[in-house]
Formats: sequence, C-alpha cells, structure tokens
Amino acid sequence: MKKIEEIIKEIEKLKPVSYIGDKIMDIVSNPDSSLSDLVGIVKYDQGMTANLLRICNSAYFGLANEIVSIKQAVAYLGIDKVASLIMMGNSADNLSEAQEGYDLTEGELWRYSVSSALLAQDLAEKRNLNNVSLVFTAALLKDIGKVILNTYVKDSFEAISKEIQDNGLTFLDAEKKVIGIDHAELGARVAEQWNFSPAMVNIIRNHHHPDKAPADDLTIPIVYVADCICMMMGKGVGSDGLAYTYYQDIVNRLHFSDVDIQKTIVGFREKLEEIEEMVSLSGG
Amino acid sequence: MNLVVGVGDMKVSNDPESVLITYSLGSCIGLAIYDPVAKVGGLLHYMLPESSLDKLKAKKNPYMFGDTGIPLLFKETYKFGAKKNRLKIIVVGGSQILDQKGLFNIGKRNHTVLRKMLWKNNAMIDFEDVGGSVNRTLRLEIETGQAWLKVSGGEMNKI
Repeated sequence: MKKIEEIIKEIEKLKPVSYIGDKIMDIVSNPDSSLSDLVGIVKYDQGMTANLLRICNSAYFGLANEIVSIKQAVAYLGIDKVASLIMMGNSADNLSEAQEGYDLTEGELWRYSVSSALLAQDLAEKRNLNNVSLVFTAALLKDIGKVILNTYVKDSFEAISKEIQDNGLTFLDAEKKVIGIDHAELGARVAEQWNFSPAMVNIIRNHHHPDKAPADDLTIPIVYVADCICMMMGKGVGSDGLAYTYYQDIVNRLHFSDVDIQKTIVGFREKLEEIEEMVSLSGG
Repeated sequence: MNLVVGVGDMKVSNDPESVLITYSLGSCIGLAIYDPVAKVGGLLHYMLPESSLDKLKAKKNPYMFGDTGIPLLFKETYKFGAKKNRLKIIVVGGSQILDQKGLFNIGKRNHTVLRKMLWKNNAMIDFEDVGGSVNRTLRLEIETGQAWLKVSGGEMNKI
C-alpha cells in the first residue's frame, strides 16, 4: 500500500510541538531535572508564563493562595505537574480543529484530550506512579494520529462502518484494514518524528492495545482505563463510538473494581466545570 | 431555543419554543418523556445505575444516578400538569465497549435499573434504542413532542 507513505508524509503538516515542547519533554522524561531547568525554559516566554499561571490558579486545582511565579507554581503543584501544564498549553493548536471523519466538532477532540489526560493523571497519582507527567502527556497526545487520518476516515467511512457492522471489527482494526494504518500507529509515528521518548511513543502506539504492554507496566493500562472511562461518558466519542476492545485483565492489573470505576466517573462529573474551564484556558 | 442537558443532568420544559437535547451518550442513558396533552417534556442524562455508590453525592446531584434521577424526572413533569398514563417514554444509550461484561458493563446496568423502575410503576417504553458500541444524541421538541436520534456519525433521524 503506497498510500501509507503518503499518509505518513502528512505528519509534516502538523504544527510541530515547538522547541519548548522538546525541552519540556526532556524534563518530563528525566526524573532528576530541577526547577531551574524548567524556569530556564519558560522565563523568556511571557505569554506562556502568563497562561501557565492562569491555569495554575484555575478552580481545578483549588489552591488557597494566588500563584504569581513559576517558582511558586512548582512549589505548590510540583515540577511534574507544571511541566504537564506547559505541555498542554503547547498542544492545543493541533487538536482543536473539527475532525469531520470522526464526527467531532471544533474543540471536541481538545476537550476530550484534556479530560482524558486529567483523568489519567488522577489515576496515576492514585497508583503512585513516579512518571505522572509522562502518563499525562501521552494521554493528551494519544489521538494526534486522528488529526491526519481524519480525511481518510471521512473518505472511507462507509467501508469502515461495514467492517465494524458486518465483520465485527473494532474501529481501530477497521481503520487499518481499509486505510492501511490506524490512528494509534500513526500517532506513534508522529511522536517518533517529534523525537518523543520511546516510552511515550509506546503508550501512544498501544493506547487501544494494553495487552501489548509489558506485564509490569502500568502507564499503558492507566492511559487505557482513562480512555475507557471517557468513552463510557461519551467524551471524545464520535463516529467511532465505543467500538474498541475492552480488556478486563488490564483493569484488574490496576486493581480497579467496578466501584472504583464508578467513583472515578462521579469524581469526573463533579469536576466537570473545572475541567471545562481548564479546556478553555488551555486554548480549546 | 436549545436547552442542552449535560452529563448527569436533567431539564423539564413546557415552553413550546424550546428543544431539549443531550449529546453523546456512551454508557449513560438518555430518558425522554413527553405528555402530548399538557405539552410538557423532560430529558434526563444519567451516568450510573445506583445511588448506593455514594448517597451523599447522590443527594447533591441526584441526576447522576438512575434510581434517583428517574423519579425526579417524572415528578418534575407532573408539576407542569403531565399525567403518567399519557407520557410517551423514550430510552436511548446504555452502550458498552466491546466485550465489556458483568459488573463492568455499566451501560447494561444503567438500562436494567430503568426497566425495573418503569415496570414496577406500570410505565411502558414507547421507543428504545439501547446497547451496542455506538454513541447517541437525543433531541426532543416541546411543541410537538417529536424526538430525534443520531447514532455514531449518522444523521439526525426522526423517532
């Protein structure tokens, strides 16, 4: 299929996550990075700094005192979370547009990406993962492949639907069968081209295939479960519906009971307004 | 005017100009009821079957749960003159991710709790489109009682 090369070439059309994004990614991947590394990156970008402070002061975090500097933000939220927020501010451009092939209106993919990243972050904290920012950023960017595949899905939608309805394929498998590549694999190729860490590439590639995660890995399961919860809540769900595979053993690996899932759903609903505010503050 | 019913939310109206709409039901249930004589309608979008999960939170927002939201939807329309025996009942949603089973199949449990409650109260469902792995959008026009359904990427169709 020569078409795949054509599709992959289109990665160039995306707005690459900027120089700052790269640096943040270094910090995210390197547990030894310090506050001065982070401050060094953002201090010359007033727009980014102002936006970051607005987000830190938003209702989602509910901090008692107003944060007026990056240093303070890190003191209150931790370097990991602040790095995540900078990454978020840097990703909106690519994910905000309407995706007609997936039947997502303007801002819908962004709203979903932020929701799913915040959920994944919560779950990662609950399970005491030490790379929360990696999980957050991967959850945020995992559907970047959809932005490119969108027009192809639109053109082949009937054939994709037919594969799902007649042959019981998942939406992901139907994408691959009809177009030649699925949005998760394409997203991983984007992440590779942008020099993201192998761990990040791996989460994006397998976000619908947690069965392919190593047995001791929790990052892919967490991103996966956060996505399942979003799907159940109808977030980011368009023409693909909920036509993806559910892996009970992955949910079990995280020691997640049905009550845990339901409580997470309630928690998500309770924070919905704060999440919506976060979505708009971050450029959705 | 479109009145959007969010996730874990309910709206009732007898304003003929208004249209109730709820977007993107996954495993949640959208329950619409309409009395053609009183010309009042209501729409509930609940997320989970039972309030026993967290009674305090259910008190704060009863529309998150089927067992607390459903009675409130009916009661609210009665305030506007609706009568139970005239109500047209529409149920959509309750989807599942492929192979989601047992307790984890919240879509199915959402549907079961509704059927039980309606059955106990002798209320008949007039239209139902539930389950599968699709997402749904439901719309109800208050002036006419006409309801519309959109399923995953399809068009809005009259029910």
